[in-house]
Amino acid sequence: MAGAAFRPSGDFRTSYAADTTIFDDAFSRRFVISLVIVLALIPIPTVFGWGFDILDRYWMNLFVSIGYLSIAALGLNILVGFTGQISIGHSAFFGFGAFASVFIYETTSIPVFFCIPLAGLMTAAVGLIFGVPAARIKGLYLAIATLAAQFILQDFFARADWFSGGTHGSVARPLEIFGYSFRSVHSYWWIVLAYVVILFLAATNLMRSRDGRALIAVRDHYLSAEIMGVNLTKYRILSFGIASFYAGIGGALFAHHNLFVQVESFTIFFSILFLGMVIIGGLGSIMGTIFGTIFITMLPEATEAVTSFMRGGAIDRALNLGGGLNYLKEMAIGLAIILFLIFEPEGLAHRWRQIKAYWKLYPFSY
Amino acid sequence: MENLRLDFLYQLMLTGLIIGTLYGVVGMSFVLIYKASKVINMAQGEFLLIGAWICWYFLIEYQLPFWIGFPLTLIVMMVFGIVLQVVVLRPLIGEPIISVIMVTIGLSIVFQALMKWLFGVSPQPYPQIFSSPTVDVLGAQIRTVYVLSIVVSLVIVGGFAWFFKFSKMGLAMRATAFDQQAAQSLGVSVKSVFAMSWAISAMVSSVAGIVVGVVNSVSSDLSFFGIKVFPAVILGGLDSIIGAVVGGIIIGLLEHFAVYVDLYAGIGNLQQIVPFYVLVIILMIKPYGLFGTRDIERV
Amino acid sequence: MKRLSLTTATALIALGAGVAHAQDIPVGHLADLTGPTASIGVAYANGITDTINWYNENGGVDGRLIDFETVDYAYQAPRAVSIYQGWVADDVVAVQGWGTADTEALVQFVEADEVPYFSASYSGALTDPTGQGERSAGAAPYNFFYGPSYSDACRALVQWAAADWEENGDGSTPVWVHMGDNHPYPESPRVACTEYAEELGFDVANPIVYTLAPGDFTAQCLTLNEIGANYAYVANIAGSTISLLNSCANTNTDVQFVSNVWGYDEQVMRAAGENADGVVVAVRTESMWTDDNPGLERVRAIAGGDDYQVLSYISGVCSAAYMLEAIEGAGADGDITGPSIRTYLESQTDWVPEGLEGVCFPSTWTAEDHRGLMTVAVYRGNVSGSTEGREISDLMADGTMSLEPVAIIELPRRPEWIGY
Repeated sequence: MAGAAFRPSGDFRTSYAADTTIFDDAFSRRFVISLVIVLALIPIPTVFGWGFDILDRYWMNLFVSIGYLSIAALGLNILVGFTGQISIGHSAFFGFGAFASVFIYETTSIPVFFCIPLAGLMTAAVGLIFGVPAARIKGLYLAIATLAAQFILQDFFARADWFSGGTHGSVARPLEIFGYSFRSVHSYWWIVLAYVVILFLAATNLMRSRDGRALIAVRDHYLSAEIMGVNLTKYRILSFGIASFYAGIGGALFAHHNLFVQVESFTIFFSILFLGMVIIGGLGSIMGTIFGTIFITMLPEATEAVTSFMRGGAIDRALNLGGGLNYLKEMAIGLAIILFLIFEPEGLAHRWRQIKAYWKLYPFSY
Repeated sequence: MENLRLDFLYQLMLTGLIIGTLYGVVGMSFVLIYKASKVINMAQGEFLLIGAWICWYFLIEYQLPFWIGFPLTLIVMMVFGIVLQVVVLRPLIGEPIISVIMVTIGLSIVFQALMKWLFGVSPQPYPQIFSSPTVDVLGAQIRTVYVLSIVVSLVIVGGFAWFFKFSKMGLAMRATAFDQQAAQSLGVSVKSVFAMSWAISAMVSSVAGIVVGVVNSVSSDLSFFGIKVFPAVILGGLDSIIGAVVGGIIIGLLEHFAVYVDLYAGIGNLQQIVPFYVLVIILMIKPYGLFGTRDIERV
Repeated sequence: MKRLSLTTATALIALGAGVAHAQDIPVGHLADLTGPTASIGVAYANGITDTINWYNENGGVDGRLIDFETVDYAYQAPRAVSIYQGWVADDVVAVQGWGTADTEALVQFVEADEVPYFSASYSGALTDPTGQGERSAGAAPYNFFYGPSYSDACRALVQWAAADWEENGDGSTPVWVHMGDNHPYPESPRVACTEYAEELGFDVANPIVYTLAPGDFTAQCLTLNEIGANYAYVANIAGSTISLLNSCANTNTDVQFVSNVWGYDEQVMRAAGENADGVVVAVRTESMWTDDNPGLERVRAIAGGDDYQVLSYISGVCSAAYMLEAIEGAGADGDITGPSIRTYLESQTDWVPEGLEGVCFPSTWTAEDHRGLMTVAVYRGNVSGSTEGREISDLMADGTMSLEPVAIIELPRRPEWIGY
């Protein structure tokens, strides 16, 4: 449509091909590609020992966390945002992926590099099994079924010594390629970034394919979708499989970053955080998933910073908050979810589009 | 297995019945909200918690006798329910299910933290309310507070039956539950029906909360009850009040039967996990539960 | 967060008020003040912060101040990892941690970064620095804790129970049962401890599961009656012990409860009232608040007043004091770094931080064995009247509640028990 210098100020797409491009225009494609390159450059000075860090390990750890969490959250978004199924048990699948990767390594000694995708497939298989009720039930009932899945899987992790090491948990190996160990958080970032790029592209691609449109049709009106020839059972179960695959990959990446996996990590609260990421980011928005993950990951860091700044300060003394600051911090996540749903139900992705539109139309806002 | 220890089983079942009734009470208040406003309230457990803390506060800080503190708590909870509905839930009418579920989850996080902040993190015992902590029922020692809770829940169920059958408000609530638009066009104030259902639900939950508090002392973990109620309401059918009570009792019995099985089988943790397996099985074979109404959709 | 907070602080006030001086010694402190273990975590965390503050007010360590920050991670392991990464980027030399969740998640990190990690998780798996132990799960060279491991505390209680049965039993074989949730923390000592119980001639019944979240545990109490248990080890934390004791009071359960270090304290006694009478508990410290000795004078100075402090507070004081003295010792020998602190800790035998004699038991860590303490004090809680609406200090003062020492168990330092 337009060259790099001018972007269209409206929707001028004239062909289906244009309607399904991944990037709206050359500028946004170049922007994303260069962003990925910049992100990939960050660890270089640290890993090659040039004596300085662009970002220290605290920040790299956050980057890596956002990376693997956003992969799992994207899976949930495909399930909730694109297919309209509700899952309150996502962290159990995330956990399954983590345990599965360690389990595959311990039993077969396949290099960790291959364990991660295999763990994703294994989790997808489990997701398909737990997705079977979805063929029959939907909405609230399905939400409650996934809640049960959460507790059943958690119980399984604590019980299955052969698989998860039982309550003691299991120790994961760092990832190695040709003898180079990706143990440090800086080098591990490359692995996570690669997975993020591949899986986000795959999801974007999926959503513009026939299957993706079928999923969206199931969400928007399942009866109409069925009448148009979409196999409801297949797509409902499939979406569980895809969501679990993403969760499994995310979990496996978590396992080889954290190097230790234990049942205690995969609680219902963690599942709720995933839902929070998807909702705050924007249901049915792939970019939004990343925003949502960044938001949920950074929120406790930010509130911690604010509270530790306020602690002992004038406001603290005036209101006699004291230990209450910690509780304010705990409340922040709940409040963020409520406020977003009331005031910005379409999530950060919506806000992002508005900001883009503003600049696109600048200086004439109409 | 020559000795099946029937006496042990009997005592377990009696306990299961009582605990199950309590699940039923919480389930009832859960269903009430769902029936009226189609909202799954994930913060039900926090309602119990808030009720238990408020009553505790009246009894300890103001040294009120139980028969004053208890009704006062109910009044406070009623106001709380109405305010919550009006301020938080009302703007969400018409939003997708997932949003409403998430808001109640958000509320549960906020209340959880708020209660810890206000009342501290250490468990607090209730004062002695009854002159004797246990009474003898059918050969087993049952806590007085449980007997009270069964009596109170019977009164509540009876009250509900009367309320929904004969009172104008109850009729309006049933009409709203049946068809929101039709009810509205016939002059029912759907808004006040919603608020009312939250108010009643908060009150009934607080009764359960106080009972659990008296038994276990109050601490923020008490809200776990809110999760245990899901198997009960799914078994009974999400929109049936009688179903919630029956479902609660069955789950209570089942949990305690699991303890009995566990004694022989030594599997461990059956009590906690069996209800969730039952939940999945029921969803697979009878998704709308024992008493729930089936959704029939027309294009 | 610390980094973030420093940045914010500088950005917002640009005065550097909160910014540490270069010569201060950075130390991290993770605590659960609001999460699921807060009911026992707050007192322990107060013990640690008060101790470090006291040292800072009294000349610091090795002439330098400790620059520490208490961060509440609400018992969420990922938060702990993130907070820890921030500290390492700030070059902390040691960390005071909290529970199973954060400690186990960080074992490999602290090993790679060589940062001594003092936990309040006493899992036996943390006691093997070399990974050579017969049944150990792996090496944990930078993990330390003050106190007996969960397994050892439980073994000590087994030993006490055996002696108790000898004295007061009816001559039959006593039945031992482990009670706890299906969770890493209560499960940690189960196998090790029940094996020892079998060794000492107990009949070991199937473990009884009861949740960490308090509930109605009548079913569990009926089960105790049914299997005829004589000694029931409660492996959960305080909140669920209260429920258990209340439930069992109504089923006329006649069993001797023996509790792990986190399962029973003054708060439990107050909350469960007379139902908590007679429970036996493993204690980490040599004395408690109501005792009188010069070491306790120091503890009172640290606490800054006469307000009653529970058992875990005093353990927190010991944990922090060992760390601070190790930092001081490392400084006297050279640079203060993670490895030098570890070397100092592992070079001392039977030592007590200066000024805390009679409070902390003499401990010994070596390069091959991180079981610092094989001595376990066994106390019995007595509650003789209503605790309704009264404070712990009053109840202890007028003797309605008391903790009475019944035994001090010295466990053999068996090599096959390392890391297990």
